[in-house]
Amino acid sequence: MRFLTFSLFLLLLGCASYPKKIGYTTTEIVSQKIVNPYFSDKKKDYVYKSNITVFKNTFGGILVLKKMDDETHRIAFTTELGNTIFDFSISETEFKVNRILKELDRKILLSVLEQDFRSLVQEKTSPLETFEKGENILNKVKIGSKIQYYTFKNDTLTNITRVGNQREKVDIAFFEIGNTMARHIQISHKNLKLAISLRAIK
Amino acid sequence: MYRLLAIFLFFSGMAFAQTKMSVEESKSLQKLVKQKSEQTKTISSDFVQYKHLDFLSNDIESSGKLAYKSPDNVSWQYQKPFSYKVVFKDEKLLINDNGNKSKLDLGSNELFKQLNHLISASINGDMFSADEFEIAYFRENGAPLVHFLPKDPKFSDFIKAFHITFSKEGTVEEVKMIEPSGDYTRIVFSNRVENKAIPDAVFDL
Repeated sequence: MRFLTFSLFLLLLGCASYPKKIGYTTTEIVSQKIVNPYFSDKKKDYVYKSNITVFKNTFGGILVLKKMDDETHRIAFTTELGNTIFDFSISETEFKVNRILKELDRKILLSVLEQDFRSLVQEKTSPLETFEKGENILNKVKIGSKIQYYTFKNDTLTNITRVGNQREKVDIAFFEIGNTMARHIQISHKNLKLAISLRAIK
Repeated sequence: MYRLLAIFLFFSGMAFAQTKMSVEESKSLQKLVKQKSEQTKTISSDFVQYKHLDFLSNDIESSGKLAYKSPDNVSWQYQKPFSYKVVFKDEKLLINDNGNKSKLDLGSNELFKQLNHLISASINGDMFSADEFEIAYFRENGAPLVHFLPKDPKFSDFIKAFHITFSKEGTVEEVKMIEPSGDYTRIVFSNRVENKAIPDAVFDL
């Protein structure tokens, strides 16, 4: 009987919404607009030394991000020696491959990168629901077709988390934040053995 | 009218800046570079690398030290703005990425083997192989400038052209690697020291 209660409890917890699972409660939507300020300056080149870890292999390179206009960002990855590995143009609805190494031109990989980068650079969005826990605010939004949660600590965006079936799928964490720039960014996949670490060099 | 004049001046200015070399001149340059490369057993040098992507406001600048030991050991040690070392040695590619070390065997990969060979060749300048490249000779502001266009499409998919600027002595001063998109990497060498023993550790991680 005790086992059954425990199982039912687990089942209920399993069905609970993502915000509830991590201890947030519903609150009123305060602002209709959410802004990710970290790639919002058209005049700035955002240049990061990057490490991409797939399974146990790590690849280094330089990730470059640039806001081209109000909707579009350009994202390119080069080796340290300068060869371009990929170069994408990305907006909320469009994704254009300007260049990719033939060996990496795989649908699955492109789809993962498209989703990760779209979440990373999407500048403006509106909350569908808002939650709170102490000083922290959690906003549920939809980017493309994906549900994401934006965590703000004292009005600073610290995480963008993609959630599916009320479970965390991908987390983008922003660190060393100052002057509307995150100098360290960590993208972690929970279902794939894929992690991307970015450190600003400019 | 003024606009026409401006366009004319612009193009004639370009023509002045870059002129074609005569056949005799190009032959003597080839000879000089070959001689120089045969005499050069080691090179150590500083370098500054400029990565140009058309959509960026500024080139991405990095710098460090290069070491070369004949016939094809090369070490690129980036020091700014990040620490990164890549060594081409015995058909292997060794990488130390800020403490993370890795090794790649190039023996099985024809393309990387070629790349390794090309990198060594572009450092000492001896790339005058008509089988591998279309070659064109110029002078730019007096300095010899040679365009090497890889013939193998497997390679030209990566790099459309190498532009190498030589000194009067036949040493490489600058290498520009142009990608099919037109974006490029320009590497400028300085403080070159030749034929001074380089410790083996430089070619290890």
